[in-house]
Amino acid sequence: MTTAVTTLPVLHPARSLARMDMTLALRAGSVAGIVAVYAAAVGILKVFGQREVIVDHLTLGHVFLFSLAGACGAYVWTRSKASIRLRVINVVIAGIASGFFLVALIALMANVNLRWMFTALSSDLLRSLIYDRGAVGGSVLFLGAGALGAICGALLIGLPQTPRRCLVWGLSAVLIAGVFQELIQIALRFGWPITSLRTFLYVWRGLTLQGAMIAFATAFCVCWALDLGRRHLRRRRGPADIDVAIPRLRSQLASAVLLLCILVVFPLVAGSYIGQVMMLVSLFVLMGMGLNIEVGLAGLLDLGFVAFFAVGAYTMALLTADSEFALAHYTSLPSLTFWMALPLAVLAATGIGILFGLPVLGVRGDYLAVATLGLGEIVRVLVISDAAKPVLGGAQGILQVPKPTIGGIELVDPMHLFYLTLVFVLVAALIAWRLEGSRLGRAWTAIRDDEDVAQALGINLVQCKLLAYGLGAAFAGLAGAIFAAMLTSVYPHSFSLLVSINVLALLIVGGLGSLPGVIVGALLLIGLPEVLREFNEYRFLFYGVLLIVVMQWRPEGLWPSPQRKREVRTPRLG
Amino acid sequence: MNVQPILQVTNLHVSYDQIEVLRGVSLSVDHGSIVTLIGANGAGKSTLLRCISGILRPKMGSITFAGAEIGERPAHLIARSGLAHVPEGRRLFAKLTVDENLRMGAFRRNDRRGIDNDREHLLEVFPRLRERFRQVSGTLSGGEQQMVAMARALMSRPRMLLLDEPSMGLSPIMVDFVFETIRKINGEGMTILLVEQNASLALQIATNAYVIENGAISLEGSGVHLMDDPRVREAYLG
Ligand SMILES: Nc1ncnc2c1ncn2[C@@H]1O[C@H](COP(=O)(O)OP(=O)(O)OP(=O)(O)O)[C@@H](O)[C@H]1O
Ligand SMILES: [Mg+2]
Repeated sequence: MTTAVTTLPVLHPARSLARMDMTLALRAGSVAGIVAVYAAAVGILKVFGQREVIVDHLTLGHVFLFSLAGACGAYVWTRSKASIRLRVINVVIAGIASGFFLVALIALMANVNLRWMFTALSSDLLRSLIYDRGAVGGSVLFLGAGALGAICGALLIGLPQTPRRCLVWGLSAVLIAGVFQELIQIALRFGWPITSLRTFLYVWRGLTLQGAMIAFATAFCVCWALDLGRRHLRRRRGPADIDVAIPRLRSQLASAVLLLCILVVFPLVAGSYIGQVMMLVSLFVLMGMGLNIEVGLAGLLDLGFVAFFAVGAYTMALLTADSEFALAHYTSLPSLTFWMALPLAVLAATGIGILFGLPVLGVRGDYLAVATLGLGEIVRVLVISDAAKPVLGGAQGILQVPKPTIGGIELVDPMHLFYLTLVFVLVAALIAWRLEGSRLGRAWTAIRDDEDVAQALGINLVQCKLLAYGLGAAFAGLAGAIFAAMLTSVYPHSFSLLVSINVLALLIVGGLGSLPGVIVGALLLIGLPEVLREFNEYRFLFYGVLLIVVMQWRPEGLWPSPQRKREVRTPRLG
Repeated sequence: MNVQPILQVTNLHVSYDQIEVLRGVSLSVDHGSIVTLIGANGAGKSTLLRCISGILRPKMGSITFAGAEIGERPAHLIARSGLAHVPEGRRLFAKLTVDENLRMGAFRRNDRRGIDNDREHLLEVFPRLRERFRQVSGTLSGGEQQMVAMARALMSRPRMLLLDEPSMGLSPIMVDFVFETIRKINGEGMTILLVEQNASLALQIATNAYVIENGAISLEGSGVHLMDDPRVREAYLG
């Protein structure tokens, strides 16, 4: 027995652990470094470098690189199992390693011209990042900042929850105040006390150092105060399990109301460009809620969703436009107003939705995705086809769709259109919310989980599935009709597959099956890229990264429904 | 008691794609009885149950339930006419709690009071479920899941229960409990068609039993009678 044991190779445990940690640190540092070099090569770093967070002190490029180092520091700190001293060393090594890649890039760029391949790799790319310090100074800066970033990341992750959350709040406040300075400055433009607040925080180019400190301190203190308050409440109430459900519901309701207030007030103060962006966001929220019925509730994957949006838009255009393609132009039908055409557009979309559902009734899982993808494309191809050109206008689309009117006044201002849409969103949200808790909603849950068992419980599969497609399509048709009136024209190229994918992606990021999740997803995936116009080129890269990050760290989405959370967090039945 | 078959299967043929799995199965289940169907793996037992509850279509033959032909009826209508199927492997809604699963069982019912009463009654039949009431059913033990599956089916107030291998993968104590419960439910008047691997227990509680081999009924008789049959003893009771 004993001889058998001693013949096994014995590793010194501490040493092997240290070696393992070293590998871990180097690996994490390399990943961060490669990401940084990649960002530099494709030009993201350049764009980031032009966006100042704190005037003359900090650009988004710095923040990006520093957070990369911070992330790898935090990763090493949590994964490493060695003693504190070794862990610190490893974190520093990881940080330096992450900086090393950019140093190597500087060296390479000094000797080889890489611009024939990567146009973004110009010599002034990194100059602003290193505050004009030259190659040697810059290299030292990169390595030092990498190490510092990693240490900060590790510190942040190692802190207890309360100070960590407050720090994150503070840093986010600075970031938001800096990155969105134009919008915030516009919002702060009127009135005496507000204007002086603006001059206190900002110069016209952006956030000042003083402003950044104030933003940080304010957010930090607010977070701390909130935390104290929450703790106080919890202590008074005690850890009674049953009572928790009601305050949780209440706090959810409170945050929903808060979100709504922001949606109402924000465009008002932030100007008409934001109004337009929010308009687009709310159209996607409408579509998101529709697709949520199909995918989130009934579990029917649909990649052809844009077809319903198109049907809504074209119906609106055909019924109301002042154009040769309008039905009123060549039939005896009267030309309708927006309000009369709206229910018809929704109805048409619902009908198409049900029609759409019929051929895919028996199709399950992955095949469903492909089948709906095909159906959606059929609609798009049909619209731009020569055959439909005399009716639908072909690639030129239909022009001169009137804007909606209320009491004889035409709503031209994008802000007014936004508020109109917001009303529709609210009504639709109410309907979606009621549906979720209804008998039909429960039938969808059952179908989503197990079609056979659902049938065995007396649930009519055909009816429920067609209702899911029809109701989902109704939301999209509503969005399409508003879209047509908003643009006063419809073109087939607005209805590409990308729209379907966008809607699906925003659902997944926000949290499938969750209504507030739809709003969060739409703000993040539709609103943010519109506001950060200069990053538009990297929009889909941003989508990809966001999707991966969300799937890794919060697979249930950013604002999941309680049930979905349970789904992701509990193991499946064997 | 009314001793007329509630379920009558005559000359049933079923095939998956081209392969014929059931070749002329006939059996009948009397009101208030327990009928057991035993057979080797792959003999076609689950296929028969799936066909009776409408998830599969028969190629030929007839199925009558409570006097009506249901062979061509869609599954949800069969369920609504009072036939509840507890499928092989339980197939709970894994992400829903025990309570939610039970409520799903009562999906077609509107009588809130009746639902609450039935649930209360079932929690007495399965006391373990009361302790696990708010637990997500995917995290239950196999035996507990079987209880939820049976309770869910009973929540629809069926006239007849199809049970597919309720003792599969359970410990001996749990197996005894499950069979005890089956007998108790039957004692309250429920008609049961039971498919089982555990032949000895299944034959003990059976009023009537069938043996299925290669998609056809090879033996039938009363439970006690089949227990003494040398062929059954050799093949299934070992
Ligand atoms: N969906 C299917 N497609 C094709 N063949 C199937 C399908 N389901 C079952 N079969 C085949 O039909 C035959 C009978 O299957 P069935 O599930 O009815 O057997 P069983 O008697 O319930 O067996 P067990 O005791 O193992 O559950 C098997 O040979 C099986 O491979
Ligand atoms: Mg079986």
